Amino acid sequence: MRSVLFVVIGLVALAVLGPLLAPYDPTAIDIPNRLSAPSARFPLGTDALGRDILSRLLYGARWSLGLAFLISVLSLLIGTSIGLIAALGGKSADWLLMRATDTFLAFPELVAAVVIAGLMGAGTWSLIFALSVTGWMRYARVARGIGLSVQNQGYVVQARLAGMPGWSIARWHFLPSLIPSLTVVWTGMFARAILGISALGFLGFGVQPPNPEWGAMLLDARVHMRSTPLQMIWPGMAVVTCVLTINLAGDALRDALAKQSSHE
Amino acid sequence: MLKVTDLAVKRGSRVTLESITLSLPAGETLAVVGESGAGKSTLIAAILGLLKPAEGEITWNGKPARAARPALVMQEPRAAFNPALNLRRSVMEPIVAQGVALAAGRLERLCAGLEMPLDLLDRRPDQVSIGQAQRAGILRALIAAPPLVLFDEPLSALDAVTQKHTARLISELQAEEGFAALIVTHDLGYAVAHGDQIMVLKAGRVEETADANTFALTPQSPYCRTLRDAAISLGALEAAA
Amino acid sequence: MIKAIGALLLRAAVVLLGTAILTFALLWNAPGDPAQTIAMARFDALLTDDVIDQIRDEVGLNTNFWHAFRAWLGPLLRFDFGYSAVTGRPVWPDLWTAMTYTFPLALAGLASGLALSLPLAILATKRPGGLLDRTSVAIASLGAAIPAYWLGLLLILLLAVQLGWLPAMGARTPAHAILPAVTLGLGVAASLTRIIRSGILEARGQPFLPAIRRRGVDGRAVARDHIAPHAAIPVVTVFGLELAFLLEGAVLIEVIFGRPGLGTFLVQAILSRDFPHVQAVVVLTALVFVVVNLAIDIIYRAIDPRIGTEDA
Repeated sequence: MRSVLFVVIGLVALAVLGPLLAPYDPTAIDIPNRLSAPSARFPLGTDALGRDILSRLLYGARWSLGLAFLISVLSLLIGTSIGLIAALGGKSADWLLMRATDTFLAFPELVAAVVIAGLMGAGTWSLIFALSVTGWMRYARVARGIGLSVQNQGYVVQARLAGMPGWSIARWHFLPSLIPSLTVVWTGMFARAILGISALGFLGFGVQPPNPEWGAMLLDARVHMRSTPLQMIWPGMAVVTCVLTINLAGDALRDALAKQSSHE
Repeated sequence: MLKVTDLAVKRGSRVTLESITLSLPAGETLAVVGESGAGKSTLIAAILGLLKPAEGEITWNGKPARAARPALVMQEPRAAFNPALNLRRSVMEPIVAQGVALAAGRLERLCAGLEMPLDLLDRRPDQVSIGQAQRAGILRALIAAPPLVLFDEPLSALDAVTQKHTARLISELQAEEGFAALIVTHDLGYAVAHGDQIMVLKAGRVEETADANTFALTPQSPYCRTLRDAAISLGALEAAA
Repeated sequence: MIKAIGALLLRAAVVLLGTAILTFALLWNAPGDPAQTIAMARFDALLTDDVIDQIRDEVGLNTNFWHAFRAWLGPLLRFDFGYSAVTGRPVWPDLWTAMTYTFPLALAGLASGLALSLPLAILATKRPGGLLDRTSVAIASLGAAIPAYWLGLLLILLLAVQLGWLPAMGARTPAHAILPAVTLGLGVAASLTRIIRSGILEARGQPFLPAIRRRGVDGRAVARDHIAPHAAIPVVTVFGLELAFLLEGAVLIEVIFGRPGLGTFLVQAILSRDFPHVQAVVVLTALVFVVVNLAIDIIYRAIDPRIGTEDA
């Protein structure tokens, strides 16, 4: 749990503080210095419009990480509510909601996101909508499974007999069981959201120029691949580093939880 | 007074309880005996309102029994407590949920009656013994002074010494608090020793209902005679050992 | 068993209906005129406003969603995808051509993924926890974090631009398929390596294996008859997940490599707001997905009959 917390805090800090470290305005065009190689003045070089790549990367963290955080939390909320309603709302609600979940799972996530974002018109809001609406299903399945097992625990029966209100039972008896597993799912979905945002950005359906999102930067860089290949390396490295860190933290958390539950 | 009239419960198409009728006056104890699968736990769930009866009525003083907020003591003491919370939080749940005031000194008195140090409540369920957990379970059941308490095999998870001790504490507290108790057990000796009435369930139906003395001396049905004889010979064995 | 398969079929049918509703809801709510979309899908392009109004009345677009949905679903059930809103040509032949590019690419990707991951997983499990094992796990973790399209760009940069060994853009010769297939395969290999590795380790941990070995059965026979089938079960289930990855990967990889296929078809259709094309791709991928997952569920049950029906 702690390692995940550190990683999240680190990434949030990067998203918040990154722009403060940026030496230049990420959208400032400087044609005389376009496509320049890394130098003391531009540590990672400049892009086709002469914008400083380091500054764009640092500002880009806000788009890529911030949006990924928002999207993964939104789908966490959607998925957990649907899963819990399925678990606690009776047989027919369960059947209906689980078939709805299957239905959403029947579209390859990214293809669906591309279609939704594309048809709604490219932009940040359609990006958020498209990735949240295609990303809640795993949470729903996990929350439903845990909900079903906790519901029959003696202490939940006792709380209901005592007359505890539903939200209070959810807060004190369901939440503690839900948090660990949902955190593991969440780390995976956070990483996937970063990949999804950059993929949509790369296809041109995501964050729109001149905003410095990592995928959109790759799209810009691709044209100049032959002359300045390095320009294409940096944004990709940024994506890989973040996704890898989050995945490793998630793995560590999952292993720790598995160890804990095998001890009991 | 708890009154159950013509109760029937169905699970799917299977009938698990049929034409159950019983009455339990305030302050008295009804012991329900039977083999596993006879429908004892189903009866408890129906009285608590955890499952809907197919037929029949369950009332406390003429109103639906659920409204009287009957309390439950479970068979598995630890399962009744959320492992993440300390015992005090769980024990106080009925007070908090029902918004009733806790009379000054009531918690201390009940704890004393259960021979339980107060600071035990600051521990989590996995930090106390099974017997202590069961006494905490009884404490939670009694804390809001319910008129009716249901005990589902309250002793079966405990060892022999703790069983006797806990059984004694339950009857002492009942004498003090005056609640009606419905105790489900497969231990006929315990039923006869502590029940005012005995009800024998077999395959979802009432085999016989009698007051404890009559039952011990002259059971009516052959099934109950076998039950009683087995209990007596077991008692004889125990005495011999 | 028959009953379980019946339940699975019913579920698949419900899910397919759900996908149709979702797809239509998306088109219904997308900016643009659904009447025009349906008109384009049904008839030729370039219709007068009169005809579109007529369709609006006929289909019930003025009334409500469900009327319109039924009118829309009818032709789809007969596999009639209508006409392109842009070119006016029938959708199906173009869609079919796109599929003949994408499905072989996906299969080649899967094949190269297996070719990479199987030896890696077997090597890794020779000594669990050893250097080889830890290296292969690290490679797999890294592989899972690399976006497929970036990997593709890197491979183009290295093998096509710098070294000039392979052609990068287009699909004229079979050699053009190598880089896309390898890109896709590397992505698949990352997750497959992990799954096969843990499958082998789990199968090896079976309590009956030492007894079999003691009876003198040789190591290769044990691996073939007892370890392989156990390791196969997770591979079968994971194929469903990989299918999603292959389709998603194919979409991006086709765009990068400038290959024709479902991905380019879809992106083109979205950019030109060619709704009949978009809905055809969406309905088709969902259909493939549901059918493959249904098949996997059935196979899975055949391998391991203990699996119940109520695991939704």
